[in-house]
Parts: sequence; C-alpha cells; structure tokens
Amino acid sequence: MRVWWRRYAALVRSAWLVDLQYPAAIAIWMVWNVTEPAIALGIWWSIAGSGTVQGYARDDFVRYFFAVTLINQLTLAWDAWYIDRWVREGELNFRLTRPISPVHEAVSDNIAYKLRTGGAALVLWIAVACFWPAARLAWDPGRWALAALAAVLAAGIRFFNGYATGLLAFWTTRVSALMELQFGISLFLSGRIAPLSFLPPAVVSVAGVLWFPYMLAFPVEILTGAVHTTADYWHGFAGQVAWLVAWWLLYVLVWHRGLKRYGAVGG
Amino acid sequence: MTPAVVAEHLDKVYRVKVRDPGLGGALRALVHPRYEEVRAVADVSFEVGRGEIVAFLGPNGAGKTTTLKMLAGLLYPTAGRASVAGFTPWTGGAAFKRRIALVLGNKQQLLWDLPPEETFQLNQAIYNIPLPLYRQRHDELVELLGLGPLLDKPVRQLSLGERMKCELTAALLHGPEILFLDEPTLGLDVIAQESIRGFLETYRGRFGATVLLTSHYMADVTALASRVLIINRGRLLYDGALHALVARLSPTKRIEVVLGDSVTRDRLAAFGEVQSFQFPNATLDVPREEATVASARLLAALPVLDLSIQDPPIEEVIRTAFEDAS
Repeated sequence: MRVWWRRYAALVRSAWLVDLQYPAAIAIWMVWNVTEPAIALGIWWSIAGSGTVQGYARDDFVRYFFAVTLINQLTLAWDAWYIDRWVREGELNFRLTRPISPVHEAVSDNIAYKLRTGGAALVLWIAVACFWPAARLAWDPGRWALAALAAVLAAGIRFFNGYATGLLAFWTTRVSALMELQFGISLFLSGRIAPLSFLPPAVVSVAGVLWFPYMLAFPVEILTGAVHTTADYWHGFAGQVAWLVAWWLLYVLVWHRGLKRYGAVGG
Repeated sequence: MTPAVVAEHLDKVYRVKVRDPGLGGALRALVHPRYEEVRAVADVSFEVGRGEIVAFLGPNGAGKTTTLKMLAGLLYPTAGRASVAGFTPWTGGAAFKRRIALVLGNKQQLLWDLPPEETFQLNQAIYNIPLPLYRQRHDELVELLGLGPLLDKPVRQLSLGERMKCELTAALLHGPEILFLDEPTLGLDVIAQESIRGFLETYRGRFGATVLLTSHYMADVTALASRVLIINRGRLLYDGALHALVARLSPTKRIEVVLGDSVTRDRLAAFGEVQSFQFPNATLDVPREEATVASARLLAALPVLDLSIQDPPIEEVIRTAFEDAS
C-alpha cells in the first residue's frame, strides 16, 4: 500500500509540475468552463425576472450555476482525447513497458488538475458569496459532505466514461467525434444548461436510466438542496455506483481486448 | 544456462483497411470496407544468450521493430511463442516489466517540460527502487554518460544526443537485465552516436545485460553486435556472426594500394579486378582465399608504398543479402 501511495504522490507531483509550465493554458481552459454556466445563468436570470421558473427564483439559479461550475471543474475528464493520441501515435508504447497500468498516470493527472481548478472555482465561489448573498448556500456541513461524496463518484463515472471511450481508438479513429456527441447530449441530460426538472418528463425518464445525470446534476442538486428525501439520496447514490461499476467494467473489457489489437505504431 | 530470449515461430499479421483514391473510393470504403492482411513477421525463431548484444538488420518495414515490440510485450503475436527473462512477454505483467527496458529512438518517455531529474525520480517511485540503490545507479549512470550539467535543464532545451543519454538513464535506473533498443542513435551526429555506442558497450561489460537493438547505422552494428539477425519481409534470412555473413556473401577481398611510381592499369589487372585507379591510389578485388598471395605478389612486383586488405563495405554485403532474398 505504501508503495502505491509513493507512486501516486510522485505521479501527482509530476503532473502538477507539468501543469505549472502552462498556467495560461489552464487559466483559459478554466475561463471557458466558467463561461458556459455564466451564460446559462444570465439567460435564466433574465427569464426569471422578479418571479420564478418552475419554482426557481433568481437566487436559486445563482446557487445552481455556481454549483454547476464547481462540480463541473471537479468532475471534468478530458482523458479520451489523450488516450486517443497515445494509441494512434504510439505514445502508449513506453507506458506499456512500465510495471504499472497507464490508467494510474491518467488518474494522477486528473487529481492534480482538479485540485488546482476545483480549488480555484471553490475560492471564487466563496469570494463572490462574501459580497453577494444570493450565491450563499445554507449552512449544512452534512449535506456538503454528501455532495463531496457524490462529486467523487461523479468524477469516477466521467473518468472511466472518457477513458473507456478513448480506448476505442484501438478500433476507430472517431473517438473525438464520440466524445463530442456525448458532450452535446450531456449539455441537456446532465443539467449543464438547466436543472433536469425543466426537461419534459419523458426526457427526464430517459435521462434517469443513462449516466448523464449522475455525473453532474445529482451532486449539484445535493449541494443546492434540491435532493430532499432519503429515497432520493439512495436512488441517486445507487445510480452513481451502478454507472461507476458499469463504466469501470467497460474500461477493463475494452482495455484487455484493445491491447490484443494494438499495433504499437510510431516507434 | 537458459537463454535470455527465445522466440519460436513468431508470426504477426496486421489487418489493414484499404480504399481507392478519391471521393468514390471514400464512399465505397464507407459502405463496403475492404481489408488486407499484412504479415509483418513470419515464422521467426531465434535465441539470444545472456550478455549477448544482437542486432536486427533489415530495410524499412522488414519486421525488425515489430519483432522487438513483441519481445518487449507491447504486441501480441498472431502465432508462436516467446520467452524473455523466463516470462511470456505479453502476459508477464509487472514482474516481467521490471526485468526489461525498451528505448525507442523516435519516442521519448522523458517529461518534456521538466528537467530529466524529474523523470528519474518518477521512475524511482514507479519501479519502487530502494532509495540507496537508486542513488547508486543514478550517480553511476550520470557519470558514465556525463549528464551532470544537464540534470536541471528542461528536456525541451536539450539536444537530441543529450536527450537520448537521458532516455537511456531513465530506462536503466531499475537495473533491467534485457535492453530492447529501437534505433537508439537515430538522428544523432557522429560524436553523439559514438558516445552512445561507447556507453552501451561499457554498460553491457559492467552489468552483463543482454541487448537487442535495431539500427540503420552499420557503425552501430559493427561496433556493438557480436551477432546479427537479418530480417526482410518478415522472414529471418540470417542468424550469425557478421564476419561469417561477409565471408559467405562476399567471395572477394579488397586490396587498396598506394603506388610510388606510375604503372599501367593493365599491369594492375594481372593481380585482380581493378575497381578504381587514379594514381597513386588503386583498388583491386581478389578472391578471398588468394588475398594474401596476391598482396605478396603486388609488393614484390610493383613500387607499392602502402597496402591494406579489407572486406568490402558492410553496407554492400547487407544490400547483397537483401537482393539475394528478393
């Protein structure tokens, strides 16, 4: 176990040091990720006016989209694009000669990146909340802890979803298109542009059996207080665990099958 | 003693998608994709003893690197079996990977934006090398390769030769007993090439490592390898000592002379086949078994200032081997 701690410490440290070489790139990427919820907030703010939209007043939208920004930073996974390149350009080769699976490097990159950007988003939210009461959450550390747990599970789902999709590069050159497609669908079904309850009931039912709501909407709704009953919590966490296990199993399957097809091109 | 590497009837077949050029070809490929099978490695068998340095020779696409990658566990073969350090490479797992190192001349494992020292420390953790042992190996390799002034410079600011030295260090810190080197001197200048060759020779001598390398530079092969494996179109054409190959494929020796006084081309032709003659230099090819006698006759009959007997250039011999196989 101590060996793995040391390995992860070294991998996270390296990823952190590499990230430090590109502060501007990370800042631009963060701004991009803040822009989308900021635009959505602006639109809903305007629509809500002095009334409510499906029970959401302006202040509710503010808290919702600040939560979307934070949880999105903490769960965002871009691994599919990296894995696609590793496979197509032979960058997987030296990683395969190491005595640890390449997945550990990807996990460490995620930890390093999320500690930085998630931390920055949290600090930004706290700073804004100091001056703007609408952005303040009700004091409820128990709920925040559950939201943190849901965020970790959501990050796991998004990570293995992206990693398994990226590994399809063993078979196809269309990995980026597949990820863009998922990204587009998630705009609606994960609650990125509006709370899920705003969608037609039939769409909500479909979303409920897919992984999208569990990778963003569920932790966001815990944080903002939209999840109330014990049954809702159980349902949400059960869905998260089920999809995490499903994507992890898919990753294992695709990895083992893909390695047998690997051409190790490009050196 | 069991061999370090055993390859038995290794085969690797790739399925490659093919399509005709143009928009029509693209549409047809979409509706009715066509595939071709390419046999990159065909029934290759050989053994490598512990501590040997063996070079793979062959033109581009011959199957050298594919064979190397199968032995390093990167590729699953279509058929055949292999044993490397007692493991089946593609199922050997972490225990196998601790015993080998793979260095690719055109791909790097060094962290591009950070000084090489960061990659070395990362590998110490990944391979779980005990710290005292890590420090000892690190210092030894840094001294052998003269890396001292490079350790705190970002990798992206190092020259190609400096980067290859750091790549070798990163790959050797865990003390692998078998090294797979794919074009380790690719793109390096002559001085850097010699430096890498010198290091590999010293390393093999000091640690008894087994080395399998591919290279397009004959100087690498002649300087390092006691044995060569010639591969073309996936098939192993020759397995043996380089000098034996030269003797087999080249029935002549080359005599180079520097003359003191002018002689005619006809007089020279009496001693062998004149390849070039521009006073005072002349080059003659004579049958291998007659080289000594022909040299003695030349020295006795002509005003010779200097004389040397050589094998023909190794590149010519290898080219002959490939042409014969074709």
